[in-house]
Amino acid sequence: MSAAPRATAIRVDAEVRANVDEGGANRRLRLGVPDWPGSAPGQFAMLSPGPLGAAERFDPLLPRPMAVYRARPEAGGAELEILYKVSGRGTRLLAGTQAGEKVRVVGPLGVGFPLPEAGQRALLVGGGTGIASLYELAAAARSRGPVVVLLGARAAGDLMGREDFVALGIELRIATEDGSEGWSGRVTELLEHALAEPGADGDLVYACGPTPMMRRAAEVAVALGRRCIVSLENRMACGFGVCLGCAVPRPEGGFALVCRDGPVLDAAAVRWEETP
Amino acid sequence: MTAAVDCAVNLGGIALRNPVLTASGTFGYGNEFAPFFDLERIGGIVAKSLTLEPRAGNLPPRIAETPAGMLNAIGLENVGVDAFVAEKLPLLPAGLPVVASVFETEIERYAEVCKRLAGVPRISGLEINASCPHVKSGGIEFGQRPELLARLVREVRRTTPMPLLVKLSPNVTDIREMARVCEGEGADGISLINTLQALDVDLATRRPVLRNGLGGLSGPAIRPVALRMVWQASQAVKIPICGIGGILSGEDAVKFLVCGATAVQVGTANYLNPMAAVEVAEGIERYAAEQGFGRVADLVGTLRPFPSGR
Repeated sequence: MSAAPRATAIRVDAEVRANVDEGGANRRLRLGVPDWPGSAPGQFAMLSPGPLGAAERFDPLLPRPMAVYRARPEAGGAELEILYKVSGRGTRLLAGTQAGEKVRVVGPLGVGFPLPEAGQRALLVGGGTGIASLYELAAAARSRGPVVVLLGARAAGDLMGREDFVALGIELRIATEDGSEGWSGRVTELLEHALAEPGADGDLVYACGPTPMMRRAAEVAVALGRRCIVSLENRMACGFGVCLGCAVPRPEGGFALVCRDGPVLDAAAVRWEETP
Repeated sequence: MTAAVDCAVNLGGIALRNPVLTASGTFGYGNEFAPFFDLERIGGIVAKSLTLEPRAGNLPPRIAETPAGMLNAIGLENVGVDAFVAEKLPLLPAGLPVVASVFETEIERYAEVCKRLAGVPRISGLEINASCPHVKSGGIEFGQRPELLARLVREVRRTTPMPLLVKLSPNVTDIREMARVCEGEGADGISLINTLQALDVDLATRRPVLRNGLGGLSGPAIRPVALRMVWQASQAVKIPICGIGGILSGEDAVKFLVCGATAVQVGTANYLNPMAAVEVAEGIERYAAEQGFGRVADLVGTLRPFPSGR
């Protein structure tokens, strides 16, 4: 179960083709990215916090790591879709970016998801913006075996990308904390149910979302002897292994860099109590 | 391009094809940037600070964004001097000048790291980090106390005839005094500024934003402070100066040259734009050509005072 060889990262100015409100705080950015070398499920890119303009603006200063939600190869590059939530200054500026403007993209970055073994069922647990890391994984894992995507949100209107997952023809289960759709409660409870189903012994669990969610998913999976693979989010300044800002402690000592050694890591390789 | 511009400069015995180096700690060990541009297009690199033994660094959070800048307290995570020489150095192109940065907690240990780097053929010079503000009992004392700085420079100077730069702390009352100390003890050049010691608060928790508490401020927010210190130091000493602090463009770099720097280092900009260093080098050349300077070196120290009187 080794990851695919990594494409060499590029830095390029990409054209915004669309930047649309998807309800709640969710938005979908469509970028025309020249020379995009292709990316593996789970890889990410650094995006400038807002449009590149004639008037240079350096506040906020740092680019934002964003999962590649979907990449469609096209002549001379690819169209990338980024799903994001407006949650701070950088994403607010990104939300104001108009079609035709440019944003700077550095990517593809990081290590993507290993795929399930042939015939193995994959349970993909997503919450918040973590859902954006799972679409390409769900699409790729379909060729290996059954895929069940478990998505959680506070309310049904906060869910990202659900129609896209439906269109993949995989099984989708929803949990909302307010009970507005699906299971009333946490998505990790849906995971417990799924792992208790007959034939679930060999399931492989993937989780991406808020740290408490991933930590709980890992506990649930590991308690039943299943492997859990997570994709971490963290602050980072560069995305390619030089600022060392995204270090998380390893259980055996030392640090893993979320950008270079991850973002995808085996949950057993994460010291959750010290992970932001 | 317009008329050819001679971009070469000499930084205390280190011959550079152009005046742009990368600042220690912001460029990894160099090969991380090889996917983005041909490294031989910049003047050289200053590699991540090396200690005698490998260091793991601080617990997170290690970085935070601030207005037009960032704070960091990485804790000088590095592979150690021996692994650098054996594993990292051979990955770099032969035509790229490499300056090794040295950090330690005691003078004897600084000297030992320098001894292990002395005479390594691929190393063009040393930069003594006398100023790292975020490791307890670390470099801050050396760069802040003239007598301690003098002892440090004297001892490392004894270990090698290689070009020796000293990277100064900006967290001092008078940078000119520190610059004179370095010149007096035989340094071949000085680099300034390192990050400004700083603090920010997370109001949700009322804790510092960094696990370490204090951090080093970098980015365009510090550029005018850096220019001021480079100018003051250039008035105080004759050894060449390498200017550092918030350089994002060729124009930013030219300001440092005008204020008396012979060369510059690009730091935080490498994070936001992995091609920043080469774009700064191109920008300097463009400015020189547009302004009719045949040699970039002729821009150094050309700050023009206003006429006196009212």
